[in-house]
Amino acid sequence: MDAFKLMKELRANYEQEGYYIPKETGLNLIESTEQNGAGISAKCRDAQVEDLWGLSSFFGYSTQTFVLAVNLLDRFLALMRVQPKHLSCVGLSCLHLAAQRSAPDATLSSGHELIRIGQRRFTASDLSRMEKIVAEKLHFTSSAVTPLTFLHLYHQVALGQSPSRKEVLSLEKLEAQLKACLRCMSFSKAKPSVLALALLRHEIKAIQSEDMWEMTCHVQRHLKIADAELQCWAERVARCLSDYASPRCSRPNHKKLLWVVSRRTAQNLQSSSCSVPDLPTIPEGGWDPSQSEDSSEDLSSGEESLSSSLEGEGAYFPLHLRRRR
Amino acid sequence: MLTCNKPADRMVVDAPNSNGPFQPVALMHFRDVAPAEQEKLFIQKLRQCCVLFDFLSDPLSDLKWKEVKRAALSEMVEYITHNRNVITEPIYPEVVHMFAVNMFRTLPPSSNPTGAEFDPEEDEPTLEAAWPHLQLVYEFFLRFLESPDFQPNVAKKYIDQKFVMQLLDLFDSEDPRERDFLKTTLHRIYGKFLGLRAYIRKQINNIFYKFIYETEHHNGIAELLEILGSIINGFALPLKEEHKIFLLKVLLPLHKVKSLSVYHPQLAYCVVQFLEKDSTLTEPVVMALLKYWPKTHSPKEVMFLNELEEILDVIEPSEFVKVQEPLFRQLAKCVSSPHFQVAERALYYWNNEYIMSLISDNAAKILPIMFPALYRNSKTHWNKTIHGLIYNALKLFMEMNQKLFDDCTQQFRAEKNKEKAKSKEREEAWIRIENLAKSNPQSCSNGDGGSVDRRCSELQRAQRTEGPLVSRRSELPQDIYTTQALDSPRRGEDMLTPHDRL
Repeated sequence: MDAFKLMKELRANYEQEGYYIPKETGLNLIESTEQNGAGISAKCRDAQVEDLWGLSSFFGYSTQTFVLAVNLLDRFLALMRVQPKHLSCVGLSCLHLAAQRSAPDATLSSGHELIRIGQRRFTASDLSRMEKIVAEKLHFTSSAVTPLTFLHLYHQVALGQSPSRKEVLSLEKLEAQLKACLRCMSFSKAKPSVLALALLRHEIKAIQSEDMWEMTCHVQRHLKIADAELQCWAERVARCLSDYASPRCSRPNHKKLLWVVSRRTAQNLQSSSCSVPDLPTIPEGGWDPSQSEDSSEDLSSGEESLSSSLEGEGAYFPLHLRRRR
Repeated sequence: MLTCNKPADRMVVDAPNSNGPFQPVALMHFRDVAPAEQEKLFIQKLRQCCVLFDFLSDPLSDLKWKEVKRAALSEMVEYITHNRNVITEPIYPEVVHMFAVNMFRTLPPSSNPTGAEFDPEEDEPTLEAAWPHLQLVYEFFLRFLESPDFQPNVAKKYIDQKFVMQLLDLFDSEDPRERDFLKTTLHRIYGKFLGLRAYIRKQINNIFYKFIYETEHHNGIAELLEILGSIINGFALPLKEEHKIFLLKVLLPLHKVKSLSVYHPQLAYCVVQFLEKDSTLTEPVVMALLKYWPKTHSPKEVMFLNELEEILDVIEPSEFVKVQEPLFRQLAKCVSSPHFQVAERALYYWNNEYIMSLISDNAAKILPIMFPALYRNSKTHWNKTIHGLIYNALKLFMEMNQKLFDDCTQQFRAEKNKEKAKSKEREEAWIRIENLAKSNPQSCSNGDGGSVDRRCSELQRAQRTEGPLVSRRSELPQDIYTTQALDSPRRGEDMLTPHDRL
């Protein structure tokens, strides 16, 4: 797309994005809810998004699917009062909806697969019912304007002059960073255009490209994004990404997951775990150097090749020595 | 039937109708005899039990005397169990002799197939026919050894290396009950006779060497390993060089043998005990296991995975770092295995808390090795349960470090794209060659008017008109003498001439 068309597209999306931002009051309510309270807390939402990220990685869904799913989830949670026990169903239905819309021709996993792999307890009919509810409430038809939309457009703008810069400014890396940010609830309040721009600038600052930086300033002016707003989100993005990039590895909790194995493997595991021997331990005889110099009659001729110690001779006194005592 | 070589006592009478000289008299009970006479009676009973009976070819012979012997043995078991100070010095040689006469025998050749056809789990063992007597002899000897009155210093004159050697030979018996008694007996002897310990270990080594490198057939490996397990458990630290050599040269090569399934639990226990005693042995042990890792035998692979998990349960973190890379490369192969049990067993490692902690401490090295195998199989494996387990494994990796996971995903995709690009390039190169060949003036404008393609299609048409393809037996040249011999068979004797006979 040439520069002019890009800018027009940007403008169009910018005008639309307001419809796709989750209701602020709803988000505030979630953030203020305590953990284990009556409603959904920010931690619950974050955990659910983590789960969705895992599932979309496993099934190979595109970033578009994931970002759309998170957007649907946030909008729905901000709108409706959802009980914590229904959260997983809501999450999965958002993911399924997003998958169906963004990649209708790709190999789609059925709802059954999603439920089975996601280790959920509800049925496929529950899932489709919830999907209808979500779609209805959000007036969801095909797509939404998400930070990813802007990210793609900005990326094209930044590359615009020289497409060879693709290696330097990697879209995949930006997408991964966007996903990392979305896992944190605080970013749901950001306007998609602002969040995407903050993200892009963070990366451009890292690779230290002067002219790309110029491009972003141009875009900011074009969309009339306020400096203060951009700066505020830029800081938050920086903090989130530095956490993301830390090499620290946390210990995962394997007990939360369901481990299903076939009957044969289960039998094998049971039988191998109970292998306690029933012969009592025989402690190795101590070798006392003060004795046993001349008690070699019990050793076979080949003995000295194997061990240098006269093993076990300490307990035996040759008869002629014993009688002298 | 054999008799013992001791001179017959006054109380013995030769029965005229018997198969040979033996004592047909049922001797008196211990309780009916004065304590002073009990030792003498004891010796007589022991000698009486030196007579052997036939249980195999003629099971119904001498039923009365078989019962006499059985009763005598049974009574003696009770006698030494419940009485003190009855094991006096003259008893020792009699007991050992009685045991030797009854037990030390050449084992019959196995009626089960040997070598590659032998399946230890399928083939029924041939049980010992004389078990009613043998069991009591074993029982008696064991009580004798375990008695509080037993004095190794007296017994060592009679229980010597020759005795131990013959005892070890019996471990090849097919009867599992006999091997069980032998195991306990040898265990007690090892415990009590310090002077014999080195000899016993050496002879067991020889049995193992022969098993691994010559015969691959011995019925008692599991029992011997069980005894060794209790010995290894009692090793003093620091470990002697002899024991380390035993681990590396004997225990580890035992993993190679085809019939590993018979003795694997005991073998794994021995190996793990060694590592608990001395953790510096971990690296050679793990590398040897990886070297012997089965390539085609999947049940054996599952056993190796069991053992490896047990080793990892006790491994030191510093040793883990030394072996992690080759280990996880092998695990990546196991996870991708089309055999569902192997893949499941490997994936179940992720349910082990200690292994997970080791992995998360070294995730930067391990994840890039495991990721491609896991990710590829999440799409392509045929088994649904495996999908679920792979998801668990990937999810745990995601929890460890998200950026690392993302980086691995990106790298995986990049490599896949590279492969695609390469294969596309190759395709295009072939098409270019084809086009080049077609545009070659020599191929088209020649007189025969046909390109290579046309000639090929002509050939194909010609072949098809011959009729449907049938498989024909290959025509081999036949030897005329063979044909004659097959057509008119003659008996061997007719063909031998006087010159051929010895």
